[in-house]
Amino acid sequence: MTKKIAFWIFLLGTISSAAVFLWATWDTHRQVAVLSNADKLSESVVAGKRAFQKYNCNDCHTILGFGAYYGPDLTRVVQRIGENGIRFRIKDPEKALANSWRKMPNLHVTDAETADMIAFFRWVGEINNNDWPPQDSRKRLSRGEQAMVASVGVTPGAAVFQTKGCMNCHSLHGTGGTFGPALDTVGRKLSLEQIEHYVQDPKGANPKAMMPPQKELTARELEEVAKFLSSLK
Amino acid sequence: MEYRSQKIAYWYFAAALPLFVLQIFLGLYLAFSYTWTVPQSIVNVFSFATARAMHTNLLVLWMLLGFMGGTYYIVPEETKSEIYSEKIAWFQLIALLVTGVVALVGFFFGWTQGRPLLEIPQPLDFVVVVGALLFLFNVAMTMIKANRWTAIQGTLLGGLVFLALLYLFGMPFYKNLVIDWYYWWWVIHLWVEGAWELVTAAIFAFILMKLTGVERQVVEKWLYVEIGLFMFTGLAGTGHHYYWIGAPRYWLWIGGIFSALEPLPILLMLIDTMMHVKKRQTKIVNPLTWTYAVGCAIYHMIGAGVFGFLHTLPQINYYTHGSQVTVSHGHLAFFGAYALLNLMTFYYAMPKLKGIEIYDDSRGKYGFWIISVAMMLMGLFFGVAGVLQSYVERAMGMGFMTAQSYMRLWMGAVFFMGLTFLAGVLITVTDLLTIRPAKARV
Repeated sequence: MTKKIAFWIFLLGTISSAAVFLWATWDTHRQVAVLSNADKLSESVVAGKRAFQKYNCNDCHTILGFGAYYGPDLTRVVQRIGENGIRFRIKDPEKALANSWRKMPNLHVTDAETADMIAFFRWVGEINNNDWPPQDSRKRLSRGEQAMVASVGVTPGAAVFQTKGCMNCHSLHGTGGTFGPALDTVGRKLSLEQIEHYVQDPKGANPKAMMPPQKELTARELEEVAKFLSSLK
Repeated sequence: MEYRSQKIAYWYFAAALPLFVLQIFLGLYLAFSYTWTVPQSIVNVFSFATARAMHTNLLVLWMLLGFMGGTYYIVPEETKSEIYSEKIAWFQLIALLVTGVVALVGFFFGWTQGRPLLEIPQPLDFVVVVGALLFLFNVAMTMIKANRWTAIQGTLLGGLVFLALLYLFGMPFYKNLVIDWYYWWWVIHLWVEGAWELVTAAIFAFILMKLTGVERQVVEKWLYVEIGLFMFTGLAGTGHHYYWIGAPRYWLWIGGIFSALEPLPILLMLIDTMMHVKKRQTKIVNPLTWTYAVGCAIYHMIGAGVFGFLHTLPQINYYTHGSQVTVSHGHLAFFGAYALLNLMTFYYAMPKLKGIEIYDDSRGKYGFWIISVAMMLMGLFFGVAGVLQSYVERAMGMGFMTAQSYMRLWMGAVFFMGLTFLAGVLITVTDLLTIRPAKARV
């Protein structure tokens, strides 16, 4: 190999990789609005991002997996601990982390800034990012449901039924609410697919239905609870 | 030292070394915070976040000073001429140091842009840009005036221009977090896996050529192939940071394939270093400089090549992303590729700048082995903690603090390795700043 050939290897290597990279950058810009729900980037969300940067939160926490690893990842923090959970930790870290061996500084964040940050986190949590992080995956059961499956030994579907508040209206073997019908033998009437459909869109299945559509359930939870109910015969 | 203006390089190196020491102290505070409880009253004043901003910015600052000093040392010898303006070189050194100190003090008082590694606030960014432009102008003018172009010079200048251009992408405020991270990586990834590799490859080729006496034609031929592979794998390889940020799904393919090839140029660099050392045309005058050169090539391969490859594929990265596995790779890679390269440059150039032909390496030897072994163990301990985190927090879903309690032992081990590393750094830095001629060998 001569030095001239070596130079051409350098030139072609650089140009070809740059071409792939720049094309993909252009295409990413084309798609990013949909993937990140850019239409929901309200003023409050942007103000929340500014506050997030102002207090240097990102040098203790990761978000979308980047940042420092001292505190938990914040990508799906709203889904994990809820708005009040976030507010409590920002406003009173001394109390919130009193029993923890790891501390968070009290940065005297104003209530308005906290509200904006929550809007920001809510928006981040909805980004379509290939279902990362795994611990908050939409394909996985919630922490409480997992604990119930492990400790009580019930099926995942039964755990969903118990923890998602179905029994506020429905009953099994006489336990539970009376607002909706008892479900002891619901599997005789409806198939697994019919139950899945019903839970997502009660009015679509039965125009007189009073039940609200269960939008909070993840795909996995919906599948498990339908499997459980369809087995009740 | 052949040219008077090379002397300026000494002051860049001398300025870089104390910053390196300071970086380690802050690192120790971080490792301590991971393992033991820092009381709320201290956390309120000096948080992990502040210390981390300082730790990482000190790293960038001392390494850039090292690169700039290295450039000012190499360019006169390559162009066979004096630096275009020594005054600019002095001004730029002082400006950079002042900016650095202001930024560090600013972090303490909460003056920050709040983006990891790019915490320097915007007004200071502009000072950095002006400094960088002056530096590039000075280097380019020296080369243009001399008009004796070599591949080493070209690569060095190309790398430095690329480095400065990329910095611009880190300056604006981005409303959309996805776009923010997208361009954040143009600075971080394209620096360390692009521009910095170019600068490193050029400095490394220069010192290797001088040390081994291998013909320029051969050294520069391999240099072209290496930087070609660095660019080919590194540019599109940026995609390995775009898996989970809300970018299109094809990045899993682009990032996975290109970044899986990233160890290749490093491997080539290791092979050709070994080849040149074997076929050397000169006697080994200062063995420690050679140890640093070979050590750097091997460590670069392990830290950046092997540890990077281990978690670059999306199937694995899904669980390790944003865990201590990243920290393990980060420490080993920066140390192997850039800290050792800078220290090698210092050991090559600083004695010469003081007019010492053969230097006494009795202390420096210990320095090299202590920092190298301590960092390797530290990297492994971070790695164990990271694998535990990936399994307990991510795969099992048992919660962040549960995982942290399992990792605590290993982060404590990291702290003690940090203390050992500090001892090694103190020996090395003292040795470099007070380097003395070797006693005549019998």
